[in-house]
Amino acid sequence: MKMLISAISQAILLLAAALVVGFGFNALSRNGINPFKMPVRVPVAADSLSAETGGIKVIDIAAAKRLVDSGGCIIDARRKADYDEGHIPGSILLDYYDMGNYLDQVLPLLSKEQEIMIYCSEPSCDDSELLARQLYSLGFKKLLLFKGGFAEWSGAGLPVEKDAQ
Amino acid sequence: MKLTWAQGRIASAGNLGASCWIYNPYLLLAFRLFLAAIFIYAAVQKIGKPLAFADEIHSYSVVDYGAPLYTMAVVLPWLELLCGLSLVTGVFVRGSSLILLALNAMFLFVIAKRTVGAVHGGTPLSKVYFDCGCGFGATYAWKKLLEDAAYLVIAMVLLFAPNHRFTLSRSRRLS
Repeated sequence: MKMLISAISQAILLLAAALVVGFGFNALSRNGINPFKMPVRVPVAADSLSAETGGIKVIDIAAAKRLVDSGGCIIDARRKADYDEGHIPGSILLDYYDMGNYLDQVLPLLSKEQEIMIYCSEPSCDDSELLARQLYSLGFKKLLLFKGGFAEWSGAGLPVEKDAQ
Repeated sequence: MKLTWAQGRIASAGNLGASCWIYNPYLLLAFRLFLAAIFIYAAVQKIGKPLAFADEIHSYSVVDYGAPLYTMAVVLPWLELLCGLSLVTGVFVRGSSLILLALNAMFLFVIAKRTVGAVHGGTPLSKVYFDCGCGFGATYAWKKLLEDAAYLVIAMVLLFAPNHRFTLSRSRRLS
């Protein structure tokens, strides 16, 4: 019993410390947010695979290929290591998990008037969808989500680029 | 003092538990360092990226966008880091084990819920693949479920271990 009380009191102290350190770091961080004053985010329905939702249109491989062939804007939401191993020709790397380091370089290359296709590794990965939501909240409304991702693209024998960005 | 039958059973179960191989001090230390490495690594991947992490949490469809979700995104990585450091130093081991036990139970629940959703959607269980937002990238759901179950068992062992050696804490029983 004494052990359990000790565990609970230690857990409360750790939680309190995490709150103080977490909010302290967040206040000083350049990526910090105000949890109580966040703008409304774009909801993307879980069943968005087959429907157009929140301004983000899901496209298939044929539409993706047409866009690539016409020199459209393509964004790869995967990690840099995956991108370096191979990516859809002409795509720009915007690692969703390291957005802070990529946005400054990538945003000037994008136009809000142009359609932007986003993809990640394969149909069940949702990084492209999460990145699309972020871009939508930054004002990019013409977003195309290629859910098949790199796996479907390379699996179909379509061209792959391997040079690092 | 004469014990009742029930008290005797509890006492003997406790004695057996305390001498069990799983409470070997070196094994407990290995468990502590293993769990610490996992959670410190996971925390470092998420610290300083609250928006990205908030989206990951939101993708589980358990908490909607709002102050509680963003607070979790800000605080949870630090809680994981502090628990990891606590396991390394041996200070507040039981408190951090209790938190990691609760966190892993929660992770198991939400990952299982999302996996069931994907299976209902027609994806075979062995093919359900997503990024759980844990800091380790995308992986197969069944693999993640097994991993989290193992972490949960380790946290439970650390929580109920009779004492912990190799700690910076003065009290072994309460460390």
